[in-house]
Amino acid sequence: MYMVENIMPAQGGPALGGKVFCVIPAYNESRTIKAIINEVKPLVDRVVVVDDGSTDQTYDLAKDLDIDLPRHIINRGQGAALRTGTAYSLSQGADIIVHFDADGQFLSQDIAKIIEPIKLGQAEVVFGSRFLSTQSDSCRAEPGQAGENKQVESGMPLFKKYFIMPLARAVNKIFFKIDLTDPQSGFRAMTAQAARKMDWQQDRMAHCSEIMFMVKKNNFKAAEVPIRVIYHSFGQSLFDGFKIIKDLFIAMLVS
Amino acid sequence: MPQQIIALIIIAYFISRLVWQKRKNFIGFNEFMFWLFFWLAAAVLIASLRFIDRLVSGLGFSGSGIEVLLYLSVAILFYLLFRLRLKLEKIEKDITKIVKHIALKDK
Repeated sequence: MYMVENIMPAQGGPALGGKVFCVIPAYNESRTIKAIINEVKPLVDRVVVVDDGSTDQTYDLAKDLDIDLPRHIINRGQGAALRTGTAYSLSQGADIIVHFDADGQFLSQDIAKIIEPIKLGQAEVVFGSRFLSTQSDSCRAEPGQAGENKQVESGMPLFKKYFIMPLARAVNKIFFKIDLTDPQSGFRAMTAQAARKMDWQQDRMAHCSEIMFMVKKNNFKAAEVPIRVIYHSFGQSLFDGFKIIKDLFIAMLVS
Repeated sequence: MPQQIIALIIIAYFISRLVWQKRKNFIGFNEFMFWLFFWLAAAVLIASLRFIDRLVSGLGFSGSGIEVLLYLSVAILFYLLFRLRLKLEKIEKDITKIVKHIALKDK
């Protein structure tokens, strides 16, 4: 049975151990990649940055930081880069795989929260949710953090919060019977066993919905934990939302 | 009648181009056969417009035969476009597979 539980991180639970790999897809993220890697590296066993055919200095900056760095020779999209990074992590003996962003949107401190339900045996896949935390609506990039040089907005844009997200949630619920609070969460963690069974096909942004659908299809025990998010001036627009729906629709026709 | 003759001349021109392309090996056998069938079918339909007029009238359509052919051709074009989109999707996936393979192999 598909379970969605909103689990707050347990305090002081017994850690089960296991190698934690953090997969970070990066496409033209030269402004943030070094800071992100330096933040994440002490928190996990290995950092896998997948350079998704960047045309800027992303690859060169990352290769000096003693991390695993598979490289796409051409840009294939975030979903494809995550697939490559996940396959690479599995080949290197990962026990828990975390998907993280390179644009400084997520906070590295939340990695511990997102892997905790897995370490405690409470979940096989954990999604970060921007809607379970009141802090997520008022987070701003501080100097020294990744994204400090980027133009940021305080809180989730209202159009996104009250139109795009409810629409995405409705699409997930109606077409895929997925009932999670955050319909497009890109911050997630999964066990190696779960990762092996999930072969998402969406190369671009629609992979978020597809992964949620695969969790349901495989009856994985799932959980959501609150995460904080820094909102930048860029991000998914309504047009991107329609593109995701179109990609998912075509995938349904092709499969 | 003159319109039909003009249309048939145009089709004859396209068929001659097709034969020329095949002789020069610019297109494969399957593609040649597909387009040959396409243009011959178009020629047959244009040559028998009066019969099609009667046929569509008998079927209850208010338009003339040529209008129905136009509607049909638009529908077929949409279908071909859809097939092309699916084909493109498959090619995209194949490219991603190759890129992933190279990324993992080079590590």
